[in-house]
Amino acid sequence: MNNILEVRDIHTFIGQFHILEGVTVAVPQGSITVLLGRNGAGKTTTLKSIMGMTPPTRGSIVFEGQSLVGKRPYSIAQMGIGYVPEHRAIFKELSVAENLQIAERHKGDLARKADLIFELFPDLKRLYHLPGGSLSGGQQQMLAIARALVPDNRLLLIDEPSEGLAPVIIEHLMSAIRKLAEQATVLLVEQNFRMASRLADRYVIIDEGHSPASGLMADLRQDNEQIQRYLGVA
Amino acid sequence: MAVRRSSIVAIIVVIVGLLAFNLLKSGGNLGNFGITVLSGLFQGMLLFLVASGLSIIFGLMDILNLAQGTYFMLGAYVAYDVQHAGGVVDLTSVVPDPNLRFPIAVAAAIVVGAALGVVLERGLLRRLYSRPIFQLVLTFGVSLVIIELIKFIWSTTPYSWTEVFGLRTQTFELFGQGFSVYRLFIIGMGFLLIIGIALLLRRTRTGIIIRAGVEDSAMVEALGINVRSVFTLVFTLGCAIAALGGAVAAPFLGASSSLGNAFLLQGIAVVVLGGMGSYEGTAVGSIMVGLAIAVAQDAAIGTSFSVLPSITPMLVLILILLLRPSGLFGNTR
Amino acid sequence: MMASKLTRTLRDNWLLILIFIGLLVFPHAVGWLTGSSPMGVPRGDRMIMRGESVRWQAVLIELFILSILAMSYNLMFGFTGVVSFGHALFFGVGGYVLGLALEYTQMETGTALVMGILGGVAICGILGLLIGLVSLRLRGVYFAIFTLAIAEMFFIYFGRLSLTRAEDGFSITDLPQWIDPAQNRLNYYYVALILFVLTFLFIRRLMNSPTGAVFKAVRENEDRAQSIGYNTLNYKLLAITLAGMMAAVAGMLQIILNKKVGPEILGITYTVDPLVMTIIGGIGTFTGPIIGTTGLHLLETVLREATITLGPIVIRVTDIWGVLLGGIFILVVMVFPQGVVGTWARWTARSAKSEPPA
Repeated sequence: MNNILEVRDIHTFIGQFHILEGVTVAVPQGSITVLLGRNGAGKTTTLKSIMGMTPPTRGSIVFEGQSLVGKRPYSIAQMGIGYVPEHRAIFKELSVAENLQIAERHKGDLARKADLIFELFPDLKRLYHLPGGSLSGGQQQMLAIARALVPDNRLLLIDEPSEGLAPVIIEHLMSAIRKLAEQATVLLVEQNFRMASRLADRYVIIDEGHSPASGLMADLRQDNEQIQRYLGVA
Repeated sequence: MAVRRSSIVAIIVVIVGLLAFNLLKSGGNLGNFGITVLSGLFQGMLLFLVASGLSIIFGLMDILNLAQGTYFMLGAYVAYDVQHAGGVVDLTSVVPDPNLRFPIAVAAAIVVGAALGVVLERGLLRRLYSRPIFQLVLTFGVSLVIIELIKFIWSTTPYSWTEVFGLRTQTFELFGQGFSVYRLFIIGMGFLLIIGIALLLRRTRTGIIIRAGVEDSAMVEALGINVRSVFTLVFTLGCAIAALGGAVAAPFLGASSSLGNAFLLQGIAVVVLGGMGSYEGTAVGSIMVGLAIAVAQDAAIGTSFSVLPSITPMLVLILILLLRPSGLFGNTR
Repeated sequence: MMASKLTRTLRDNWLLILIFIGLLVFPHAVGWLTGSSPMGVPRGDRMIMRGESVRWQAVLIELFILSILAMSYNLMFGFTGVVSFGHALFFGVGGYVLGLALEYTQMETGTALVMGILGGVAICGILGLLIGLVSLRLRGVYFAIFTLAIAEMFFIYFGRLSLTRAEDGFSITDLPQWIDPAQNRLNYYYVALILFVLTFLFIRRLMNSPTGAVFKAVRENEDRAQSIGYNTLNYKLLAITLAGMMAAVAGMLQIILNKKVGPEILGITYTVDPLVMTIIGGIGTFTGPIIGTTGLHLLETVLREATITLGPIVIRVTDIWGVLLGGIFILVVMVFPQGVVGTWARWTARSAKSEPPA
């Protein structure tokens, strides 16, 4: 199996709190892998540790054969990783256009990707010159994902895309994520188990700073005991 | 930019109120009124030169640069020194024409301000991003060292500008009152700078990055942009502009060691009034505080309360902090 | 029972007690060593303050004053995490109130002294409370700005106020004989020493009490302290009020020593000094502010006459003292943020902990 990203036994502190106490995540090339777990288990911190925003103190992170540990976030991103943070962290004072322009890594990135982006999220074309803050929650989420599509990223880290959105919009987002997974590998954090189970090929469970279980999503769907134990949903 | 309507109303009310008060007080004397307005705009532009850096640096890097006023003061000393005979650099024999020496003096001030800005950001502040209180304390400490160095190099005696050059001495007449062309020149330059920086922020990629960084610099970095190099750029520019302000102010205010604190506090008053990190707020706030000081100066003439203009910025600051700490254009964060 | 408690107190504090005794006998010891009288030189029915002993008494009185100021600053900044850039306000207002009471009221000298002291401490306490009430709700940086603005406003205002003779200030002439440092400096030395010791003991007692524990909790993580159920605002108010009152006492000692009240006691120097001294000595420690003040003050006293020769340029240390002080300060902030005391404590703790390599 060819893994585009291998996170091995990372430990991360935030302030004096030991958040990750040995998390291991393998993401196969071309897959959609989801991190599952309760609130506060360490899923977001795992993504931030990969991005170098909360650098791990121990363990290794390897992307396409290169170590990410000790690199600054901007150089990690430049290696071809797109990050879509939780809470739709778009720039509210910037227009939709500027939100996309800022993500360009080379001149012309946006021009090349505009067709793809507007095909996935037709709304953005209409809203192109409005400030990000005036968009609805779902539109902001679309913009946040679109922003990660502007450069040629080979891995996308997406944190809780469905959070606080209406079911219709979640459906739209799911089909968009499925479509963009044809171009890039996706590592997803998702609380919504139904969405996660329909979308992902593989899962990793994060629980209290550890990663006790991982495998094929198809297997997890059958394993009610596992689901009950770590996710508390039936 | 979502500006609340109440802010716009407040701005108009304050400005109109200040002007009306002054017009009434001068008994409809348009000449006197004109001088007040012009001197208010002049002071406002000088303030803008200190406050714009203060505001953008705070918005982007979360550092309140307490050395900003000191850079202004340094600019005044450098410009004074280059323009006049004697001192550290004496150009009178190389460039005998004072009209030609003045742009050189201003350029020298900008270069010195920028250089010390790089040193402060790269050499010191960068290492303290995990300890914000110490950053604040450090900028305070750096300003002390610069003030002490200035006192050592140029002594503690204030200098008043003695060199005569064209722009400084020419006047024009309006409503029977003489106005200095130089003031008009500074006001024009200030407006150009306000527009120039606005264009930089709106139209260039660097500007988009700066505005995005004011909102969330960690996210900008996660998009693959080396935010710290933008920090250095902004900090350096901020210090250079402050030094420019000191340099162009020197022909009027001279060079003295009290300039630093005065302009720092006035600058902070502007930034808090406009809303920390808001560029539009800084521009509008500068003009408002400048006018307020000029009106206070005019009002205090001949009264026993001659201290009023000096403490006006502090009063503005205290009032704003009490009434509306987020400022006119501030987002509630 | 009582005896064992006493012996324990003595054992735990032997060094401090030794230093205290040293300070008690200091004027006499200097006098004995240099053959000068600790009382000064009598001339007629007056005393002239001349000789090594009285000279060193003045140095130490200044030291006590600055230490009290630094300790009070440390109570806010070091122990509670409140950054103020306006501490000179309390120092100066305390000084002005006492000066006004002594010189501008019709009260009898002794009464004026007592009323001035009580009034000054009370006014500074109220001032601290008011400033805290209106600005402590704001983010830390706004509080720092607010205090800077208020202090600067007072500085400018008193610099222009003709009632108190503006920039020149006024002299203190009407002072009880027994405390007059130009007549009975030794008495004044003991007054300052006792206030210095009391301040130290008070802060130590406070910080070892449950209230002090909350102060530290506010410094470490205000949100957490709040979520545990403490009204952190009240504790910060208490810290700034107490600090303001102590700074007022320091300011009063200062104006009596100099027998002069002027706007310079409201100047930024008296904000900078405690800040710098506290950080260099070690923030959030009991002895740090004192060690920082002592070290730097003695250094300045000793180096005042010294010169540095750089090739053809000869620089007097006094002229660049501010630069040197600022340089030391920046160095400490960058490299030893715990200051002298904190760094020392870490080193000794590390060498005590480190075991022989396995």
